Amino acid sequence: MEENNVKVHVKNLKKNFGKLEVLKDISIDIKEGEVIVLLGPSGSGKSTFLRCLNQLEQATDGLIVVDGHEITNKQTDINKVRENIGMVFQHFNLFPHKTVLENIMMAPVELKKMTKAEAKEEGMRLLKRVGMAEKADVYPVQLSGGQKQRVAIARALAMNPDVMLFDEPTSALDPEMVGEVLMVMKELAAEGMTMAVVTHEIGFAREVANRILFMDAGYIVEEGTPEELINHPKEPRTIDFLNKVLS
Amino acid sequence: MIKIIHLYGGMLLTAMGQTLLLTLLSLFFAIIIGMIIALMNVGKNRLLNLIGTVYVDAVRGVPLIVLAYFIYFGVPAGIKMMGAVDFRLPALQAGTIALAMNCGAYMAEIIRAGIESVDKGQMEASRSLGLTYGKSMRLVVLPQAIRTMIPSIINQFIITLKDTSILSVIGFPELTNMGKTIMGNTFMNLQTWAIVGIMYMIVIITLSKIAKKMERRINRGRE
Repeated sequence: MEENNVKVHVKNLKKNFGKLEVLKDISIDIKEGEVIVLLGPSGSGKSTFLRCLNQLEQATDGLIVVDGHEITNKQTDINKVRENIGMVFQHFNLFPHKTVLENIMMAPVELKKMTKAEAKEEGMRLLKRVGMAEKADVYPVQLSGGQKQRVAIARALAMNPDVMLFDEPTSALDPEMVGEVLMVMKELAAEGMTMAVVTHEIGFAREVANRILFMDAGYIVEEGTPEELINHPKEPRTIDFLNKVLS
Repeated sequence: MIKIIHLYGGMLLTAMGQTLLLTLLSLFFAIIIGMIIALMNVGKNRLLNLIGTVYVDAVRGVPLIVLAYFIYFGVPAGIKMMGAVDFRLPALQAGTIALAMNCGAYMAEIIRAGIESVDKGQMEASRSLGLTYGKSMRLVVLPQAIRTMIPSIINQFIITLKDTSILSVIGFPELTNMGKTIMGNTFMNLQTWAIVGIMYMIVIITLSKIAKKMERRINRGRE
């Protein structure tokens, strides 16, 4: 079971919000370098599932192992594990009281991963990589949505994570800014980053995903390669969903 | 009126100084109390939540004048009853404790509201990077919360300054108490209280103007 190249191992994950069962029984392995896309109607539990992977939501039941750390175990130092799991949010969640560069430098410096000088150098390198170097000293409020999200990706990368989680990273963007964010994500995938992405961008899923999971009502209904799942879906619910989003 | 200013001007100014001293001391401790109680209330620990809520409800449920009597007269009496030495708090200390406790309860609510006004995503983003709850609070949430808190804190500052007058009942020589003394000596009710009132007004208006300026400076540039 614990093969070396399994980065994320999830077994029988359940999550309830009060009486509402959001995740009913999720089991999945994500291998190193794999890009997983989670598709599904809203309320299907995709985001909750993603947020369980770094315990922003505490699992009600089940096992989650990331990088060999059993994060569903209360004894595990979750802060330590989170250093290796980057997360990108729908609403960016940049820190408005810090400049772009300070946003990126904060975690590595505070967690003593780098000195201030190293963090600054690394921060500038990452900003160049996402095409935002010239905005290093401005505050987030002065950026467009697409720019904010690229900075947020750079911020997550600054901790040099092994796994990146994307929670609807383009859903809050104006249509003309979606491309620039997806481009950064594609590059990241091409460099071998292990990624789990909740998105409605079927085009991105088709092009970048190694595997697509279709979720509905708290279950993974169907999974497969983009070819299998998008072009030849088997489950009626998958077919129904794809008909709606592709038309 | 001129006569009062001529005779008692210096004493009135000294009393004003005492009022300000009491206000600033109380406010200082109130902010510490408020911060501790607010952090107890926004956390997830049920026991701490309970302690915080009980404190705020209890202190807000008691008039300041009763609280002041309790601390100045009640507590020493209680200590005496338990057989300890004759113990009495000086009026400044007792007054500071009463005002700080009272103001601290309101401050706790102001700080709690400030913290809760910060988008939940801020804490989540910070935690997702591996920072602890405490560090996230200190580096990410509180710096943003403080900005929304400033107007309410200024308001509370003014209320506290005015509330110091209540402490004249325990004999603290602040401005209102001085007014009583002058009144007792001169029997010039109208003039005495007009002067005292105007003195409060001048100080409060000046301080709120300064505070507004500070507020504008803090907010400038970043928003």
